[in-house]
Amino acid sequence: MTSLLLRRLLEAVLVFFGVTLVIYVMVYTLPGDPVSALAGDRPLTPSVVAALREQHHLDEPVLAQYGHYLAGLFHGDLGADFSGVPVAEQMADRWPVTVRLALTAWGVEAVVGIALGVLAALRRGTWTDRAVLAFTTAAVSVPVFVLGYTAQVLLGVRLGWFPVAGDSAGWPSAYVLPALVVAVFGLASVSRLVRAEVIDNLSADYVRTAAAKGLSRRRTLLVHVLRNSLLPAVTYLAVDLGLLLGGTVIVEGVFNLPGVGQLLFQAVQAHTGPTVVGVATALILVFLAVSVLVDLLNSLLDPRIRRD
Amino acid sequence: MLGAAGCAGQGSRISTPEGGFSVATTEPPDHLTPGRTVTSMDPIHALFAPLVTVRDSGKLAYVQARSVTSRDSRHWTIRLRPGWTFHNGEPVTARSYADAWNHAAYGPNAWSTNGQLAGIEGYAALNPKGKKKPARHTLSGLSVAGRYTLKVTLRAPDSQFPYQLTDNQGAFFPLPEAAFTDPRAYDRRPSGNGPFRMTAAWKRNRGATLTAYRGYKGPEPAADGLTFKSYTDMSTAYTDALAGNTDVLAVPPDKFGQVRRDFPGRVHRYEAPSMELLSLPLYDKRFRDVRLRRALSLAINRKAVNKAMYGGLNTPATSLVPPAEVGADTGVCDDCRYAPRRARELLRQAGGWHGPLVLTYPGGLGLDELYRALANQLRQNLGIDGARAQATADWAEFSDKVYGKKLSGPFYGHWGALYPSMQNTLRGIFTKSGDCWTCSFYSHPDVDKLLARADSTTSPRRAASLYNATQRRILTDFPTIPLFYGSYVYASTERLSGVAIGPFGLRLERVGTHP
Repeated sequence: MTSLLLRRLLEAVLVFFGVTLVIYVMVYTLPGDPVSALAGDRPLTPSVVAALREQHHLDEPVLAQYGHYLAGLFHGDLGADFSGVPVAEQMADRWPVTVRLALTAWGVEAVVGIALGVLAALRRGTWTDRAVLAFTTAAVSVPVFVLGYTAQVLLGVRLGWFPVAGDSAGWPSAYVLPALVVAVFGLASVSRLVRAEVIDNLSADYVRTAAAKGLSRRRTLLVHVLRNSLLPAVTYLAVDLGLLLGGTVIVEGVFNLPGVGQLLFQAVQAHTGPTVVGVATALILVFLAVSVLVDLLNSLLDPRIRRD
Repeated sequence: MLGAAGCAGQGSRISTPEGGFSVATTEPPDHLTPGRTVTSMDPIHALFAPLVTVRDSGKLAYVQARSVTSRDSRHWTIRLRPGWTFHNGEPVTARSYADAWNHAAYGPNAWSTNGQLAGIEGYAALNPKGKKKPARHTLSGLSVAGRYTLKVTLRAPDSQFPYQLTDNQGAFFPLPEAAFTDPRAYDRRPSGNGPFRMTAAWKRNRGATLTAYRGYKGPEPAADGLTFKSYTDMSTAYTDALAGNTDVLAVPPDKFGQVRRDFPGRVHRYEAPSMELLSLPLYDKRFRDVRLRRALSLAINRKAVNKAMYGGLNTPATSLVPPAEVGADTGVCDDCRYAPRRARELLRQAGGWHGPLVLTYPGGLGLDELYRALANQLRQNLGIDGARAQATADWAEFSDKVYGKKLSGPFYGHWGALYPSMQNTLRGIFTKSGDCWTCSFYSHPDVDKLLARADSTTSPRRAASLYNATQRRILTDFPTIPLFYGSYVYASTERLSGVAIGPFGLRLERVGTHP
């Protein structure tokens, strides 16, 4: 277990340097000049442009800029955007929103997905089974912003059940709609995975044994079948959590939730290298951490993995 | 775990004050210091009062200034109303203005409104070419002549100087000491001299709450306070207003078609001092023939496009200067008609068009439909099969291509005048030093001379007639295709009363709520 962790940490360091450099170069090579992106449709005077370039080292080659960035990083400085707002401060503002959204969506996805999967497996071949399949597949095929706007108009404007946008209503009411929109996309995968495993396990020998020993069907299902059927779904869900924490750019935009996804989007538009790199790096670290957790979780659920 | 995360957010709420209303703003606001911002004018209008404003009728009216006078249009005296204070209690004096203007004019400070001060004597010394540091810190043409008197000397006579001291020209606002001692803190919670003051620093991506400033000496605002609500996506703000969660918003152009149905009787429109153009790359020799340029213009059915794309909320252009600018003549652009037969005739005379004709526009601004429609019209009415619309990835790429002269076809051109004088539009678009010169790539000695004469008159009527003569002179060369005069379009909820739009956008101080 310790060697696994060490290996993962070492990987993380390498990934960190590789990724920051690649992203820095990518932002640098985006078409268009960050200073003109900043100015909007009113050009800045030459003296202002020159002063801005100097302040943000934009007049230097990309590797030198990256060097400045790394130097700052070792002093704990993540840099600042063109308005002078520190990147660290911006991210600190945004993380709570994204974490709240991701966990809410993830919770919905896990509970509803597993429930639908079990239901479909128990009612295999019936209309219920087919309805679950049809609903979850249809949900995946609708573009996310269409689903988002529709949910806003129906549940927010017409019925007035939930706030349309923003997080000023706080958790949970401000997060219900966006979380549902995000969660709907994972339902198909989770429910299919669970369904297949449950069907497999239901015909396994140990289920018959349990029944022969006089165990109730409910107990057999909840304690034995479900635990054995969850492994693929848990792996999927864990990876998905990593992705969700990476910010759901479109949903955060549509629902006006100031999370990291939105920050990343704004930063790419404004060509703000330090912000893009800072956010992307943080996201990658989150993803790496989550994948280590997945490994640990899997070994807890299935003792056979621990021996490898 | 979820519960704990949920509680953490409660402190970040922005709530609308009692007797107040909420306004949607676009995020991120770059700055709240008027001399530094390029995007956040609504907050500036709430927090600051200008020296001079322009009434809906087009007449100048003094706000913080008691008078702005000159005998020769070059040496100006600005007298301030005494007794005004910033929100932190500091008195507003001539010094508050001089300090702010000098700070904006000093190049190395990199304040975005720097160019607005270019007409004042001594500007060049604060903005040397290359990487040299300026030797001076203050404008030689600006002096404090008394506690409430400011003297300004311009480089050349400029009859339109008072118009430049109005609401949207951020460089000309006053700043208190605090703006220079702690610029970063000030930028997030500025003390202005305007009708509303901030109760706490601006929360990025959330907004801010303002309350009426009791010490304000101008016209008392109708509401007790207001809240700016930040939105990244104005479509979301629009839906939120439909649900009644945001009281007033600037309607994004791609919603113009539906806004009257969605907000019946609550759509507010004012013809903005802005021009929508289809600009042409005059550096490309295929566009040198004026007949080709006129043909392209005559082939566009502006009325139909306006109806289909904007629900008729813009106005088809019939001149080079928008009528919102004082004294501007309209109906002077003969080639702004829709005359497809004449267009084909002119195109034939010009030798026709061969190959692709790509109309380039910046992506992400909701312009896709408009540019597809324009390309269609050129294809159908002129038989140019290669006409098509093409978006760039974003604004940065677009401006890169325009400034770098990398485009070989028509492209998006837009100029919103910061003050409603023909001078702004004509100098902006049709002189080499204009900020929107790339909207036309056109300049001519005749035009420069006419503009200089108009600028140096002392009679407003004479100035207007000379500016109109300038636009007529430019039209004989027809360098760029005028499409529409823009509009400020706002929508509001039923709670609000007195929503008024003026030459500078929403008049926040007049908006009130129904009891």
